[in-house]
Amino acid sequence: MAEEEINLPSLVIVLLITGLAVRYFFFSGNASRANRQPGGTGGVTLEELQRRREREREAAVETVQQMFPQVDRRTILWDLQRHGGNLQATTERILAGRTETPPITFQPPPPPTSPETIAAAQQSATAAANKPAEMKTHPDLITRYNLKDKLASAGPSDDAGAAAGAAPKIGGWSSNREERQSLLQKRRDQMIIEARRKMEAKIAAEKAAAAGASSN
Amino acid sequence: MSINVAQRRLLQEYRSLTNNPPEGITAGPISEDDLLHWECLIQGPEGTPFEGGVFPAELKFPNDYPHMPPSMKFLGDVFHPNVYPSGLVCISILHPPGDDPNHYEKASERWSPIQSVEKILLSVMSMLAEPNDESPANVEAAKMWRERRSEYEARVKTSVRASLGL
Repeated sequence: MAEEEINLPSLVIVLLITGLAVRYFFFSGNASRANRQPGGTGGVTLEELQRRREREREAAVETVQQMFPQVDRRTILWDLQRHGGNLQATTERILAGRTETPPITFQPPPPPTSPETIAAAQQSATAAANKPAEMKTHPDLITRYNLKDKLASAGPSDDAGAAAGAAPKIGGWSSNREERQSLLQKRRDQMIIEARRKMEAKIAAEKAAAAGASSN
Repeated sequence: MSINVAQRRLLQEYRSLTNNPPEGITAGPISEDDLLHWECLIQGPEGTPFEGGVFPAELKFPNDYPHMPPSMKFLGDVFHPNVYPSGLVCISILHPPGDDPNHYEKASERWSPIQSVEKILLSVMSMLAEPNDESPANVEAAKMWRERRSEYEARVKTSVRASLGL
């Protein structure tokens, strides 16, 4: 009987302590989870996992698209999905031209629409929009480097003299920063103008040859 | 303000490229305010469809140059197996030092601090003359170059003339 009397309070104490411990862990765990996902139940971690996977997939698609801007997102996603998201394998298949066209039933999730990605998408869209525009407005080197006037002003007659006179002057390194800059630009302009002249002459020669051949 | 290693090295390379410019190459920083951003012109090698053309490209150097290589991007249309459609150049000398994880390239072909801008530009010039079929960056160009060479050459020639405004 005495044994029981001693055991009962100690048993109560032990139970109380374990109860408190369980409660402590239970509540603290729940509280931190509740902070992250209010109203969430057991599926909170699952949701988070899914989001993380989504982010990883987007990063993979973006990496592939940076390497191969010509391949569309749907093809990349299809390939990644089919082959377990192996980035390297996908890259190799694209390089080898072995990507399959995804079936019509394959509807990839749209790109995520967090503010950051929207901004990034807009940026890339404007960049993409700017690029062809730039290509169009600067279709050739003459326009790109504003050489129309120089091309027109320096006639072919004084070209040889100018080139001979200017070439040695342009070659050196100047200690003056601005002078260096303008010399570099001159060399660049000269290179393009020369190339253009040579190509003009070549085309003229080809035309003459063709005309000669046809008249004979 | 002391200029760092990359800037000092680039200024030195700029100087030697100005004093002894290699045939068919003009290169230098767009502005000396930013020595890490260069623009260069490369002449198309003779005896190739690129002959007669002049190709502008930009070079972007990392802060830890010359430990790491710059990236190079053509600013015009260059239809070539080793140039991505975006213009980005893909050759071994522009790849970070060390061994290739795919074992395509020897470590000696890749970037190392003993290489230079001049060597990159000369390598790109010879790449224009002789594409490397092993690791195509532009699959369409690689395929055409391999299978329909005359069509490839005609296409390049047309774009060279267009780039000169002709």
